[in-house]
Amino acid sequence: MFIEYTWLVPLVPMICFLLIGFIGQKTPEKGGYFAIAGALISFILAALISYEYLTGDVYPAPVTEQIAWFVIPGGFEINLGYYVDGLTCVMMLFSSFISTLIFVYSVGYMGDQGERRKRYYAEVSLFLTGMLGLIVSSNFLEMFIFWEVMGLCSYLLIGFWSFRHPEGDAASANAASAAKKAFLVTRLGDVCLMAGLFILLFEFQSLDYATLFNSANIAAVDSDMLTLAMLLIFGGVIGKSAQFPLHDWLPDAMAGPTTVSSLIHAATMVKAGVYLVARGWPLFIQNAEVMLFVGIIGGLTAIIAASMALNNMNIKRVLAYSTISQLGYMILALGAGGYLVALGLESGSEELIVAGSAGMVAGCFHMMNHAFFKALLFMCSGSVIHAVGTEDMRQMGGLHKHMKITSITMLIGSLSIAGFPFFSGFWSKDLVLEIAMEAGSHEVWFTVLWVIAVITAFMTAFYMFRMWFMTFMGEEGHATQHCHGESPKTMTVPLMILSVFAFASGFLILVGLDAIVSFDVIPGGFQVGGGHAGGALHYFEHLFTNPYTYLTIVLALVGIGIAYLMYVKKSINPGMFNKDGESWLYKALTKRWWFPDLYNQISWKVGYGVARGVDYVDRQIVDGTVNGLSGAVVGGGEAVSKAQTGNVHDYSSMVLIGVALLSVGFLMIAMVLGGI
Amino acid sequence: MIPMEYFLVLAGILFAIGAYGVLTKNNAIIVLMCIELMLNAANINFVTFGAFANDIMGQAFVIMSISVAAAEVAVGIAILLNAYKMRKTTELDDEKLTSLRW
Repeated sequence: MFIEYTWLVPLVPMICFLLIGFIGQKTPEKGGYFAIAGALISFILAALISYEYLTGDVYPAPVTEQIAWFVIPGGFEINLGYYVDGLTCVMMLFSSFISTLIFVYSVGYMGDQGERRKRYYAEVSLFLTGMLGLIVSSNFLEMFIFWEVMGLCSYLLIGFWSFRHPEGDAASANAASAAKKAFLVTRLGDVCLMAGLFILLFEFQSLDYATLFNSANIAAVDSDMLTLAMLLIFGGVIGKSAQFPLHDWLPDAMAGPTTVSSLIHAATMVKAGVYLVARGWPLFIQNAEVMLFVGIIGGLTAIIAASMALNNMNIKRVLAYSTISQLGYMILALGAGGYLVALGLESGSEELIVAGSAGMVAGCFHMMNHAFFKALLFMCSGSVIHAVGTEDMRQMGGLHKHMKITSITMLIGSLSIAGFPFFSGFWSKDLVLEIAMEAGSHEVWFTVLWVIAVITAFMTAFYMFRMWFMTFMGEEGHATQHCHGESPKTMTVPLMILSVFAFASGFLILVGLDAIVSFDVIPGGFQVGGGHAGGALHYFEHLFTNPYTYLTIVLALVGIGIAYLMYVKKSINPGMFNKDGESWLYKALTKRWWFPDLYNQISWKVGYGVARGVDYVDRQIVDGTVNGLSGAVVGGGEAVSKAQTGNVHDYSSMVLIGVALLSVGFLMIAMVLGGI
Repeated sequence: MIPMEYFLVLAGILFAIGAYGVLTKNNAIIVLMCIELMLNAANINFVTFGAFANDIMGQAFVIMSISVAAAEVAVGIAILLNAYKMRKTTELDDEKLTSLRW
């Protein structure tokens, strides 16, 4: 009875967007309450729908309903509708829940922004519409539309301070260029995604999930084209989820308000890419090579981003890099799991499919956990920035005494992301590593990726605690002295709620989350995850008998310990590792591995070169043709106009001569042809 | 019965006179009149061929042609009157009138 109203889930924030846009300035908080109400209603609806679906008869089969939208000649039917399965439920629950908390938090955080809050609340509502619409879409085109809505909103929100920035014009220009960068870089991926969708549409004659995920249909299409399509679609994921080599827009996106960063990193936007891989999983697992590629990109992203977080001094940028790194984990889990499933499908081994399907669970599970702790961490950093008025961690320090709630909630978030035992990040990160290890026994590349992931886990623990210690412990920094105490209630209450989830959401795997995130991969209704074959629980049985689990725990603890020694005890001087900031590696990290330079070089050399070529063609050839033609016409007209003497005699004699000549001509022709 | 050639020769002579007048006379009124001559020469041809071919259409078209000619003269004289009002001349090779061309 609620599932029929799934379309309301994205519609409610959409209505809020319109309401805020038209009458927001007349309401208290400039429309903030509308945004909160919209997100809350969406969350309640999502909860009702999820409850009904998960306890209903059709579960675990997906529920989908569509209306015909339009038909492209050639038999390509495009529909509009919703598609509810376990993944949809999980995604829309945590997106709308976290968004609600972020909007509540915004009331405190954006409180001093005056009239501009109207624009802010309208845009975040639209952002939420984009994410929820993307989640409940029933086909790839509908999904793509919402995908682009989010792209637009991220552009608008990252550039929220692109004029009249509180810190002056330079910061405004920075925000504007960050927004442009985010938009253009993700656009690069979107072009790939669109090309992939064209191929899918051409091959399947449809973009409906219900048609595409049917194994009989998959078997009927050209597998090479399918591989190409999936690689292109993964290109879209690389752009949206900030994977290597298109990851560089995300750190720059920190130019927006912290709440926006929180929204982009936790509830929406970058999660869309991971969601797309999970959603397109039945198509992705058709080719093991594609999944290997996905895994390698994920692993590379994880370690590159983590390395750049090691020496960054900006509290938000550290978090941004950690997001990229964690997204890498999710993609790695999906890649490794998909690889195993693909092998299993090839060889018909059910064991491999079960093992690999846990990768899907791991990816989605880590995505959900990450949403909770990253939203928490960003909102904590926002609280800190709100209090001290700077983002530079060197000027903070000793804040624990001033902001106890923020400090403790952020500690919970940091422990969670570092993978401290029993915090949510621990469960999902270990599952990810487990899957990579498992895939490593079939493909040596995954062993390499496992090593990379373990190193990344160590680095994560180190840089997160470096951040926490630098901010809350040690001597009071310059900015700490200006700190005006704990943030208002609207900010701290969401923090406390989220910290509960950041700690506890990991336990959901023990009560059947793995079974929820599941669907048919092979004919006959075989269930991925814990549904039939034990799935994820099977892993936790040997989780604590596995020496590698202890290895990662020990590495995380060592990371935390080193951070403690460096930034609290000061018994290790961080400078001794990098020759006081002079070493090659340190400079490489500060320069972000030269990725911004690379982007600039490419855009200058290629982009500007192409632009100049196009400019030449436009000015010289296109304009030249038009100008030449018009010149010829004008010149010719001027020359011929001399024949107009203005004297009637000349005209009439011309007419007479002409008539005479014509008559003679006709006579000649008639005589030659003998017509008369 | 008068042979057809007589009519055609008459029409030819009238047309030649008209053409000569149009080409040589400078006065716009005379040129207009000469145009009428040429037109009527054509009308004579029309009627002649109509009569000898036993076709009533010849006469019908001449009536049409005469009415069109009347309208044409009205327009032509109106233009001429206005030109005279503005330029105080009806001499066709006068610079005051030839300058109207562009």
